[in-house]
Amino acid sequence: MTAGSPLPSIAVHGLTGCAGELLVILENLENLIPYVRVSSFPFAQSKNEDDRPVDIAFVEGSVSQPHDLERLKKIRAQARWLVGVGNCAVWGCVQRDGCRKESAVAMFEKTYGDKSQDDVMPSTPLSDHVRVDVKLSGCPINSTQLLAVTASLLRDHLPYITSKPVCLECKLRENACVLIENNLPCLGPITAGGCGALCPTFGAACYGCWGPSEQPQMEAMSTILQEKGYEMNEVMSRLFAFGAPDELFERVKRTIPQVSVDTI
Amino acid sequence: MTEEKRRKKIEIPEICRVEGHSAVHIEIVGDRVENVQLDVFEGMRFFERLIIGHQQDEIPHITSRVCAICSTGHVLAAIRAVEKIAGFAPSPATSLMRELMHLGMIIESNSTHIYALALPDFLGFEDVHQFASQHTEEFKAWTDLRNLGCLIQTILGGRPFHPVNLHVGGFSRFPSIEDFQKIETDLRSKYALAIRTCEVLMKFSPPVRRTSEPVFFALVPENDHYGYFGDQIRSNHGFQARVEEYKTYLKEETVPYSHAKRSSVEGKPIMVGSMARLTMFSDRLSSNAKSIFDSSALAKGDHNTIWNNLAQGIEIVEAFDRCLAIIETLIQTKAEWDPFDKRQHSRAIVPPVQGAACGTVECPRGTLYHYYELDEKGFVVAADMITPSAQNTYRIERDIHEVVSQTINEEYDEEREKTLTRNLETLVRAYDPCNTCATHMVSVKYTS
Ligand code: SF4
Ligand code: SF4
Repeated sequence: MTAGSPLPSIAVHGLTGCAGELLVILENLENLIPYVRVSSFPFAQSKNEDDRPVDIAFVEGSVSQPHDLERLKKIRAQARWLVGVGNCAVWGCVQRDGCRKESAVAMFEKTYGDKSQDDVMPSTPLSDHVRVDVKLSGCPINSTQLLAVTASLLRDHLPYITSKPVCLECKLRENACVLIENNLPCLGPITAGGCGALCPTFGAACYGCWGPSEQPQMEAMSTILQEKGYEMNEVMSRLFAFGAPDELFERVKRTIPQVSVDTI
Repeated sequence: MTEEKRRKKIEIPEICRVEGHSAVHIEIVGDRVENVQLDVFEGMRFFERLIIGHQQDEIPHITSRVCAICSTGHVLAAIRAVEKIAGFAPSPATSLMRELMHLGMIIESNSTHIYALALPDFLGFEDVHQFASQHTEEFKAWTDLRNLGCLIQTILGGRPFHPVNLHVGGFSRFPSIEDFQKIETDLRSKYALAIRTCEVLMKFSPPVRRTSEPVFFALVPENDHYGYFGDQIRSNHGFQARVEEYKTYLKEETVPYSHAKRSSVEGKPIMVGSMARLTMFSDRLSSNAKSIFDSSALAKGDHNTIWNNLAQGIEIVEAFDRCLAIIETLIQTKAEWDPFDKRQHSRAIVPPVQGAACGTVECPRGTLYHYYELDEKGFVVAADMITPSAQNTYRIERDIHEVVSQTINEEYDEEREKTLTRNLETLVRAYDPCNTCATHMVSVKYTS
């Protein structure tokens, strides 16, 4: 970037989610503003240029209705880099697991009665629909990672984000293992790190909010939880609550004796 | 104005506030406002369905995801419901720390709404750059107050929202005395800022006026001070009931034009949130918050919607005083809750009990209901959640109706259209709508 040239631009959008990432980005405004122009951020400002190209588009939320998909395609078309932020955007978060248990249409009918509207879609992550340049998970995302990703993209580098298990960060912090020592159902072994092993540091079990780690050993995790006395229904509902994809779900499901499958 | 019938449409397109997007449709036929619809078209996540089958310990962590900015409220409502079903009473220290956590949310959420979302209307800035560069004092006030709210929630909950340290049965780890002292220092250093926030808000006169008096609903605080937890609901018209009876007084219905359910009581709209709480419980405020309240239009019974911003400011001052009182008590009673090995004692095991209950808290935007039915192993069989924004929707529509009706015989030129549009936005935003969304873009389109 040369002196006097306009600052690179960013856009911040939310699809179907809790606005957690919008909030994290809002809370980092003072760190971002010296380096970027916020050309669109409807959550935080009234003047937005949604029809102009943008250097980095941050997108929170899953695609859960046709309206989300339309917007996502528009955002993609305008963005040089598209960064999916948060578990919803990267994995589909809790709403994805909900759709696995029951179809979105059925849930709609049960929640909203018979006044059905035909605009529901099963919740899916962004990359099911468009190219996503950077996937930054978290629930919510980690501020330091957000700034690092931004800095790296501003220098035209695609950031490298590892998804090694939470256990790794837990060991680095020299925590006592709550899975072994406190007998808690910690999902650290199969969950992507990035939070700094937050829950175990507080003496609690990881519940998987970052989404799956690389090569998650789901079957082994399932065995450990069963050995701790958890029934398979509960194991499945814990393991897959925060957006793990269908392939993993099917893989673990195959390890279950046929009789109980129907009840999951 | 011409003789022909007008149709007016008010759109709120890009409202990415918390639970998505909404639009307002206003229909005018002749000189009557025929219809006002608040259309929430955010994507649906069906929390009431997806929570089914999860175990009681998981509930708070999942329901937290309904909304980031009031995640603490969702966590606490869920915990209260489960503990009520189990017949479990948390220790006094646990209750105090939960309250402190909740007040952290009140400070963070109210200050973000006041400064970052509502203030642009009154100071007239359009984007975050103008906010940061031309309104430096307000920008700093916002960051200072918000950071304090984040600090409280991070110390108690592990992070600014979606807390990991709050559970059914208590905390996985109590903070240390030093942590509480850190909060105390921060509170004291920003106290003047909380007061100044109210002074600023008092100066802005409401640009529009609704013409009917709202019916307010809020929880009766369970202790003798101003507060956000309780199991009894009250209206300023003398109604009172246990929250478990919510289905008998609060009617939730779907409307064909929106994804948000619409609540009403006896067919009428209600208003929940800061103004509702202050209207009924101002006598419980701390003395500083009370004297601000007494000098405000609110004390004179002026319930203009716009004063909800000020009401949120007054609640920030109250939260400061209450936080300081809680910390003082926690430090004094240290011996009771801070045993040598904290890990052993901070979280109790809550054995599951089959049953149903309603957990309620006052979120920044109003009463939040979480209702669960659990089986004997603590798995969710049925769930129901009623958010404050759903309760306010009908009242927002009524407000818009009343405001637009007052202008109906005026000549509409472009300038007036713009002003009306802007004022309606300001009005909607004063509710700090969470799933119906605070908006920064409304456009009125006239077609004849
Ligand atoms: S506590 Fe959890 S995250 Fe930490 S090492 Fe043990 S299993 Fe892994
Ligand atoms: S430890 Fe697990 S549940 Fe806790 S914050 Fe990290 S990823 Fe999320």
